[in-house]
Amino acid sequence: MEKIILFLTVLCYALTSCTKEKTDYEAEINTIIPERTQFEEVATIQNGPYTLRIEALGGKLYKGYNEVRLKISSQGQPRVSEATLLPIQTGLDEQTATCPHLHQLTYKADNDYFEGYIVFTDESSEMARWDLQFGFIANKQQHNSIQHVTVQKQSNKNLNMISFIGSDGEQYIIALVAPQKPKVAENDLVAGIYKLNKPTTGSTLAFYSQAEGYTLELDPRMPEPSMGNHSSPNNKDLLPGADGLYHGVVNYTMTGNWTLNFILLNQQGRIIKGTVVPDDFTPGVAGVKSELHIDILF
Amino acid sequence: MKWIYIVITVLLSIPNLYAQSTIVQKDTTKVLQEVNVSAKGKKKIKTDTKLAVSVDEFLASSQSISFIKRGAYAWEPMLNNMSSERSSVTIDGMHVFGACTDKMDPITSYVETNNLSTVAIKSGQEGNLHGATVAGSIDLQRKNTAFGLDKKMSGNYQTGFEFNNKQYFNLADLSYSGQKFAADGSISFRNAKNYYDGNNKEVKHSQFNKFNSSLGLAFKTGERSALRVDAIYDKAKDVGFPALPMDLWLSRALITSASYKQLFEESLVQFWDTKIYYNAIEHYMDDTTRPENLVHMDMPGWSTTYGLLSKIALQRGDYSSEIQLNAYDNLSIAEMRMYPQDRSNRTMFAYSWPWVTTRFAGLSNNNSWNLSARSHIIVGGSLGVNYNYSKYVEFNWIFHPGAPQEKTRLLPGLHGSYHMSIDRFDFSAGVGYGHRAPSISEAYGYYIYNSFDRYDYIGNPNLKNEVSYETNASIGYKTDRLGIQAKVNYFYIQGYIVGKILSMGSPMNYQSVGVKGYTALDHANIFNLALSGHYDILPTLHWKGSLTYARATDGRGGNLPFIRPLSYQSSLQYQHKQFGIQTSINGDAIQRDYSPEYGEDKTPAYQIWNLSADYSLPIRKVNLTLQAGAENILNAYYSTYADWGNIPRMGRNIFTSLKCNF
Repeated sequence: MEKIILFLTVLCYALTSCTKEKTDYEAEINTIIPERTQFEEVATIQNGPYTLRIEALGGKLYKGYNEVRLKISSQGQPRVSEATLLPIQTGLDEQTATCPHLHQLTYKADNDYFEGYIVFTDESSEMARWDLQFGFIANKQQHNSIQHVTVQKQSNKNLNMISFIGSDGEQYIIALVAPQKPKVAENDLVAGIYKLNKPTTGSTLAFYSQAEGYTLELDPRMPEPSMGNHSSPNNKDLLPGADGLYHGVVNYTMTGNWTLNFILLNQQGRIIKGTVVPDDFTPGVAGVKSELHIDILF
Repeated sequence: MKWIYIVITVLLSIPNLYAQSTIVQKDTTKVLQEVNVSAKGKKKIKTDTKLAVSVDEFLASSQSISFIKRGAYAWEPMLNNMSSERSSVTIDGMHVFGACTDKMDPITSYVETNNLSTVAIKSGQEGNLHGATVAGSIDLQRKNTAFGLDKKMSGNYQTGFEFNNKQYFNLADLSYSGQKFAADGSISFRNAKNYYDGNNKEVKHSQFNKFNSSLGLAFKTGERSALRVDAIYDKAKDVGFPALPMDLWLSRALITSASYKQLFEESLVQFWDTKIYYNAIEHYMDDTTRPENLVHMDMPGWSTTYGLLSKIALQRGDYSSEIQLNAYDNLSIAEMRMYPQDRSNRTMFAYSWPWVTTRFAGLSNNNSWNLSARSHIIVGGSLGVNYNYSKYVEFNWIFHPGAPQEKTRLLPGLHGSYHMSIDRFDFSAGVGYGHRAPSISEAYGYYIYNSFDRYDYIGNPNLKNEVSYETNASIGYKTDRLGIQAKVNYFYIQGYIVGKILSMGSPMNYQSVGVKGYTALDHANIFNLALSGHYDILPTLHWKGSLTYARATDGRGGNLPFIRPLSYQSSLQYQHKQFGIQTSINGDAIQRDYSPEYGEDKTPAYQIWNLSADYSLPIRKVNLTLQAGAENILNAYYSTYADWGNIPRMGRNIFTSLKCNF
């Protein structure tokens, strides 16, 4: 009888092994989205006794929103508690520009580093060379360092950015900040919205500032024609948060390509850019995109 | 709920514990009774005009069962005009859950007539022995040969050909009954091509191929005890579903169990039967045969169940009782992957069942007292705990933000009935009360496309239990030659779960017109009436007939869908020595009370006439039976109220079969 039971057990295993493997849904998203969870070194600058270590997620800088950290180690010197950052783009004709960034870096005393962000508007090329200028005060003395960096093509579409001129004639940048790795779920959608200010007199650089009090209306759609302009429920428009970024909710009902259709409204509720997209279900026909949109993929 | 796991793990890890225990089954009257039952049951699996039938055809001949048909195969049984999630469908008390979100694989599709002895259908709360239910229970009971029969070996072989869909089938089964060992084995093949409707038009994608085999081995382990191991393996391949946008590429089921039964003599406890079981189902849909589809999709599904049931039967004097413990753990997974037109783009993926675990544990009890020689009462109850867990609950949160990932429900059930016979009359009246938990699709389903009303369905984890209050009555009159019976039941169901159009979301499946969410109606009313009768006109000529009527409303005067209109069946059977001839008509009246809200349209009346003749030929120990006949002789073109998408039914079908048993 033991033999029979053994035989049946073996038979069970043989028969129950599935014909098709189940999808490893979480791993599948990972193959599309490069994981960047660790802050790694981008470059190190030596400035006298001070060593400046620039860190970013994955150790690389990409077009779009980048969170950056600056660690300043000072051998035997007093601690540095203030630091500034200025990214400079140099074009072919040596003209310079900057991009949205946090100039006065925030000091995180717990971990002893400075924190900031840079929204690179272009990837590095002959037409756009990028340098980072750091300034810090130590021993009541201003120290400056400059470091050339390479800005890579954004490999994660969920961190895409868009730059445009609004109906008010101003130049804006919208950069996606989160989620880096969306799920088929409710996702907290975070974006930075920046406005280009006119250069102040005496300065050649025009600076960006965080757009305040705007509203970014959201309508996510699947662009694939066979999905017939499919959308999702329970999305929330992006509104400014205390951190200066814009926060909303996007629901992705399945993996794949999605288009985030936006309408940017100013403080008075006037449309700066963007158009209402039709919500008809049109199988076989790709949905119309808003004039202001960002494509994502996960 | 962890204890269920522990019990199952322990039981599974020490199977040889059973082998070592020493107990045997004796040829008590109890065993002999069982033989009688199964012998009777064997006769039961046929219809009025057909000897060799499929499980679906057999069930369709029952008054209380109607079918939603999506093709020629795997019909979804509806008990008391309620869909399959409201009834408890089991195989020998074991819970098996289909792996298809579109209900293409009801449990009845994983068995075959030659491994069944009978099908026990119980209406309403009387059917709560195997778990919580609203509509009742359908228990598919397998063949189970007793020990020590006079006839050691017995077997059946059936083969046949049906002309309409070029179906041929071969079914064989063999039983062995020894003093210490008994075995049942069966094997069957069915193969059918597309069928033709009453206009002689081919109904494309209606083919099917089915293989089924089963094996049961019983060992006497002591004077009055036995161990039995059973397995069913079923495989359906290349099955068309003309009413759906997809077909079936492959579905496989492995249904296994090990049971241990102890009989007791001259004691209050009659027997104690304990069973552990495991079943696994995989189901893969296929749309590559439908080039007209705009989107290519993969929709695989898996369902795995572990379970335990333990039953004690008690009897003392006029009192008898059965107590059953049911526990199971099921994991249901269904995936949906859509392929973009440009295949180099990323595919789109979602779970239509996001890894949903269901655990159930419940105790059921049925008692019967003979108050006098002419009357008895039946009182019973059940209490179950139902637990659900959705692994990828974030899918459910899209439509129901903040819904709990886990949910535990208490499912009570109660029923009582009084039965009385006076002279040639018998009466019964009963009441029942019971809860059921929402099904996996109703609670956690995600964009499940329903091609009937063309909506994508979204489950709601926050749904409340469906609560049923029922009452039933029957009256019968019987003489030697005549029998008539009338049965009625009425269900008042609170929180009746249906799909309602959602104002949010947009369709995902390209054929879909919108999104519906499962919601609860305040209440629904379902009323069923069945009249049946038989009359022996001559000793050789028998008449049988039945009439059913049902009415169901959603509490606001609207009709519920899939409610059978007035329907009738009438058959005559003539037997002369070895020769028999049968004829029957059946049909539905016009569907007056249809429900446009749920995608129904008015289905016209139809009538079908069938005729068959058979001849039995005993050759030594082998009994040969030949049958030939025709269904739908007049080649009527029709579809019934429950034919998905109004697909036409089969036109004239000439069938032949040969059966031999020894």
